[in-house]
Amino acid sequence: MPEQHFDPDRAVAGTGMGGTMDLGVDEAETLERAPGGPEGPGPREKPRSLWSDAWHDLRRNPVFVVSALVILFLVVISLWPSLITSGSPLQCDLAKAQEGSQPGHPFGFNGQGCDVYTRTVYGARTSVAVGVLATLGVAVLGSVLGALAGFFGGVGDSVLSRITDVFFAIPVVLGGLVLLSVITSNTVWPVIGFIVLLGWPQLSRIARGSVITAKQNDYVQAARALGASNSRLVLRHIAPNAIAPVIVVATIALGTYISLEATLSYLGVGLKPPSVSWGIDISAASPYVRNAPHALLWPSGALAVTVLAFIMLGDAVRDALDPKLR
Amino acid sequence: MGRYVVRRLLQMIPVFVGATLLIFLMVNVMGDPIAGLCGERRCDPATAARLEKEFGLDKPVWQQYLTYMGNVFTGDFGTAFNGQEVTELMATAFPVTIRLTVIAILFEVVVGIVLGVVTGLRRGRPVDTGVLLLTLVVISVPTFVTGLLLQLLLGVKWGWIRPSVSSEAPFDELILPGLVLASVSLAYVTRLTRTSIAENRRSDYVRTAVAKGLPRRRVITRHLLRTSLIPVVTFIGADIGFLMGGAIVTERIFNIHGVGYQIYQGILRQNTQTVVGFVTVLVLVFLVANLVVDLLYAVLDPRIRYA
Amino acid sequence: MLLDVHDLHVEFHTRDGVAQAVNGVSYGVDEGETLAVLGESGSGKSVTAQAIMGILDVPPGRITGGEVIFRGRDLLTLKEEQRRKVRGAEMAMIFQDALSSLNPVISVGDQLGEMFTVHRGMSKKDARAEAVELMDRVRIPAARERVRQYPHQFSGGMRQRIMIAMALALEPALIIADEPTTALDVTVQAQVMELLAELQREYRMGLILITHDLGVVADVADRIAVMYAGRIVESAPVHDIYKAPAHPYTRGLLDSIPRLDQKGRELYAIRGLPPNLMDIPPGCAFHPRCPMARDVCRTDEPPLYEVTESEAGRGSACHFWRECLHG
Repeated sequence: MPEQHFDPDRAVAGTGMGGTMDLGVDEAETLERAPGGPEGPGPREKPRSLWSDAWHDLRRNPVFVVSALVILFLVVISLWPSLITSGSPLQCDLAKAQEGSQPGHPFGFNGQGCDVYTRTVYGARTSVAVGVLATLGVAVLGSVLGALAGFFGGVGDSVLSRITDVFFAIPVVLGGLVLLSVITSNTVWPVIGFIVLLGWPQLSRIARGSVITAKQNDYVQAARALGASNSRLVLRHIAPNAIAPVIVVATIALGTYISLEATLSYLGVGLKPPSVSWGIDISAASPYVRNAPHALLWPSGALAVTVLAFIMLGDAVRDALDPKLR
Repeated sequence: MGRYVVRRLLQMIPVFVGATLLIFLMVNVMGDPIAGLCGERRCDPATAARLEKEFGLDKPVWQQYLTYMGNVFTGDFGTAFNGQEVTELMATAFPVTIRLTVIAILFEVVVGIVLGVVTGLRRGRPVDTGVLLLTLVVISVPTFVTGLLLQLLLGVKWGWIRPSVSSEAPFDELILPGLVLASVSLAYVTRLTRTSIAENRRSDYVRTAVAKGLPRRRVITRHLLRTSLIPVVTFIGADIGFLMGGAIVTERIFNIHGVGYQIYQGILRQNTQTVVGFVTVLVLVFLVANLVVDLLYAVLDPRIRYA
Repeated sequence: MLLDVHDLHVEFHTRDGVAQAVNGVSYGVDEGETLAVLGESGSGKSVTAQAIMGILDVPPGRITGGEVIFRGRDLLTLKEEQRRKVRGAEMAMIFQDALSSLNPVISVGDQLGEMFTVHRGMSKKDARAEAVELMDRVRIPAARERVRQYPHQFSGGMRQRIMIAMALALEPALIIADEPTTALDVTVQAQVMELLAELQREYRMGLILITHDLGVVADVADRIAVMYAGRIVESAPVHDIYKAPAHPYTRGLLDSIPRLDQKGRELYAIRGLPPNLMDIPPGCAFHPRCPMARDVCRTDEPPLYEVTESEAGRGSACHFWRECLHG
């Protein structure tokens, strides 16, 4: 009997957003070797671990370098936005509403007369905070539950599988609308909590799968036969192998969580004004799009670049960590 | 096969119960189900108590859930905020969303598969790289941004289409919204097809087909596509549930009065019955679509036999 | 001569460089003759076969020189459409792994019948009848019922019979079998090989049998061509080779076959590893592994010397073939 065939990676894709399918630009190129080609000896470098090998590859991958630099930049400006802007995102002058680009205000003003540049810079903070914190929560909760289920199996495993099925069946954006519409707190925490609540099953499936795979490896069986304790098995033998897919999926998911926060804020249930979020600004700008398209385009562009950077980063990391593609 | 279907149907029951219960709890426990019933103001205590009794809201939640589900299975989804039957709302909303979903699926099948086949056969060429980058951008840009931008360009700037859809929502007005709804899945279908084609193109059985002296066209359509499209078809099948659930964003952008719109209204007015009713149907659609996909797998791939 | 390959060169362009897979291979096959092509993986034996069939992956592969004369015309100069009509109809190929070489989602009947509908324009119904007959001929029991089944429903030996049936379908003049029995159980190997040899005699086809298994060769082959690093290093009638090899590499191969009369002795193994095709050693490509290597072997590439002590045409690409033959 086959497992459920729908793609669990689409769990965060209620809006049709994100997911972690194959994004590889040249995933199989390395397979295009000459038949019977240079399998021969050749000078062999000293064996490296999966991680140092992956790092070696990543440093030479322009996709990784560019997306990592973009992300670094985003993190820096979300920690210290005053580095590149002197204004305040809440300092608005209705008299200047919808005005275009002018000296000192390169992106113009939005419908409330706020400086679009400053608001776009400050918006990064929300997105990065939601993305990073939600991913941490999802990764910890999901991988711990998944790993336990995969390692011990049995009833707990079956129950967990059914629970994840339940979560997959709920459309994400609808769930967000229902759950978040009643929450009055205007901070990032409810959004993060919601994403963790609906996101963990995706990670737990991945973790469960890779733990089961790792558990079946001969060397793990051998260690077990030699009387290694459970904790030793998990820490020394299973975790190092099972963690790579979790990291890859989590990185790509981070991008989709940012996208999800913006979507929920656009729908009016994520963050609400006076919070600063790209989703809020895009939503607020859409009625004036005829007169002030810049107020819509700048935050949209920033959002797109941010999500793209995380997805490409995850993609590059996956290519580097997947030894099958070498 | 028959036994497999029965088992799968039985497995669906706990998932269905779990998902609907979860939604029911979210709506009932966290929201105030009668808040929307007294118009814009809060109900006065006496009316509130009367209403609570009338709707059985003074009973424990699990009893409320059982009563509600009992009613649902007799076809009674309750009443919406304006006194209309929820089933009436469904009768007008679902056809619209189904039309929208059909258009989205058509885009995925036609555009997604064609692009995937073209790029899969021309790996590394400029077409391939271009399409690949485009799909990456489409995946990264949230659907609501894609929708707003296309609406801005096609609807406002160039005036090719009406920026918002009329309440009848005929097929032709739903073409752009359908594309927006499909966009991310379309990019995935393209990539999935491309990867699948590129992988199978170097497979032994394709080499055999060439060695048999079959014309290139036949090698591709009969030998390569047949196997490569199996994962694509199942992806698209499973996508139906996602699209209907995710249509809410697209429907809001283009002001389409479909399922998403009704749920959105239900949430705004805190009308429990509308929200739970619609979500229940969506969950069912999702589960059935997944079951159909599993069965489809067996039809498409003779190697899979269900015990 | 049915097939005459002359001075064939094939390269593969990869990310890491250019691999010289085939470097001037010449061999021929007559009607009814069996030529065994022997060599390790990477010796270029399969690539040569793919170039003859015209199923080389281009790119990364590229034929950079030579001729493939088949029934009097050079296949390499034909247009793709003419080439296609030769494939399957006049020359056919049997692959190593029948499970992966048959389409998993098309019934074997359709895969066999396709030969007739495409090349002969037969109706589907007639093609199905032909498919059943073919399956009968390769002795698949209950052919009439099994024609509707899919490859995974057959055993390994039966699947390889289906591959053979597919190759035989249009009674081609030449069959190239690329390690046809390697993926099979030892007990089944002999049956399949026997069937292939028998059908070859019946139809008087030319057969190129690519293998790394010297044991298979002795029974069925007429001639042997031994390949190393994309070149033919020895070419001779089968009995001559078994009697006395004229190349140290052939000798190494023969010595590494386990033999009953040498039970208990350590098995011989050729030292070292096959060469990197991106960096083939100068001179004789085998010299780093050759027990007889001298200075001249490191600098001068040996031509295929005619082994004059043999009556039938025999060649060896060793400067010291005489020594080898008598040593």
